[in-house]
Amino acid sequence: MTIDRRKLITIDGIDGCDIDRRDFLIRGGAIVSTAFLAACDSGGPKSADKLLKHAERKNIVVERELFRHTAMDAVQRGAHDAGNKLPSYYISPTVPTWDESVRGKWALEVSGLVGNPVRLTLEDLQKLPQVSNRVNHYCVEGWTAVETWTGVPFSELARLVRADPRAGFVDFQSFDEDYHESWDIESAMHKQTVIAYGLDGKMLEPAHGAPARVYSPVKLGYKNTKYLTKIVFMPQANGGYWTDRGYEWYGGV
Amino acid sequence: MRVTHWVNFVAIVIMVGSGLRIFNAYPAFARKGEIFCCYPFEHKPIPVWLTFGGWLGGARHWHFAMMWVLVVNGLIYIAFIYLTGEWRDLAPRKGDIRDSWQMIKFYTFTRKDHPHQGKHNALQKSAYFLMPFAAALAVLTGIAIWKPVQLSWLTAIFGGYVWARYWHFIAMLAIVILSVVHVFMVFAVDPYSLTSMITGNYDPSLSPEARNARPFYHLFPKRSKVAASPPPPPSPPPPAQAT
Repeated sequence: MTIDRRKLITIDGIDGCDIDRRDFLIRGGAIVSTAFLAACDSGGPKSADKLLKHAERKNIVVERELFRHTAMDAVQRGAHDAGNKLPSYYISPTVPTWDESVRGKWALEVSGLVGNPVRLTLEDLQKLPQVSNRVNHYCVEGWTAVETWTGVPFSELARLVRADPRAGFVDFQSFDEDYHESWDIESAMHKQTVIAYGLDGKMLEPAHGAPARVYSPVKLGYKNTKYLTKIVFMPQANGGYWTDRGYEWYGGV
Repeated sequence: MRVTHWVNFVAIVIMVGSGLRIFNAYPAFARKGEIFCCYPFEHKPIPVWLTFGGWLGGARHWHFAMMWVLVVNGLIYIAFIYLTGEWRDLAPRKGDIRDSWQMIKFYTFTRKDHPHQGKHNALQKSAYFLMPFAAALAVLTGIAIWKPVQLSWLTAIFGGYVWARYWHFIAMLAIVILSVVHVFMVFAVDPYSLTSMITGNYDPSLSPEARNARPFYHLFPKRSKVAASPPPPPSPPPPAQAT
């Protein structure tokens, strides 16, 4: 079920999803991914990389230990909505859009270690229990943005498909090239994690991940896959687009 | 003790460098769609040569690894100065403000002789006393912006994520300013203390007080020598007793 996503890609025209775009511009041009991945080390002595990897593994233990389902993100009083100031990142050369005439009707496949795998159209999703959360968006770059996300709580989907208790991880996959990010199950099951199809009272636009994306304030922006196609319950994590390029896998706030 | 000093040196350099690299990914404080009141350089990146880690992801790995070194080292330092009683050399005392003022007067040439001091002069003592507090602020605000959801109560103490990030920056500035002044003074006033920072031995006859040393004292050698020991002025004769 794990998919080998380590195929070579060029970063020509990559727009960067919740990543430091300046780095991309500096490193841009026609560099192929080997050079790109080499540039994604710690930027210090090579021997330090092992130590930093070790520290990241230990940090994941600490962070998962710190995680509480009861810890909720709350928007500060007086904070303004970001509205159209919310940046929109994707890795495809142009805004990824689902072309029905080519790919047929969009549907979200929920599968893996589940008792009842399903394919849900947008209408199906909208019929499931709906929540709207006005929450912060925490970007790895350091900015935050307040937005209201409307969609199905992930926990409802997990119940619908009868997720296996052995599924400790979930992979969120997209049609934005090979973008995906895998999560720990507890962050996915957090009350504020939704499969969102609405933003600020309107249907999600292509720039922000239409038809549906995962959205949760408990994860940094890059973990929140846009342009969803598949949600896969798994016994093991399988990295992710930015994770494989050197960002922390956990990326939790 | 001396080990913690040099571990601290490495940890602070890497934390500041990687922190500035992280900051450069969004060198501003404003929430998207808002304007931030209190930082004059919004969206102006820090010069690259001051940063460490190469790129945002690399700098984050360094930052999140080195933070443990900084915290553990800090706790060892605090435990050490507490157990050995050396904290007494740093604790503020009555008269410190007056003594600090005298040190300022000495450094600005409005006082000729070096004020009498204990292990540290009053200004130095305040700097060393403030350092652990600046570091503690940096660590707490750092945790607050690392886990603004899971530890939202801590983030709230600092005024929310945006402000916690701001105070984290200010704490960094305080640490940098204290460190830069410290290093400047070591080289400009008391280079002999470098020996003591490494070996632990200190020759009191070479202390700034004994040498009446101001910054770059060696550039004005004679002036302080001459002024050092003028004969005390004769006391005025007692007033003649009226009869």
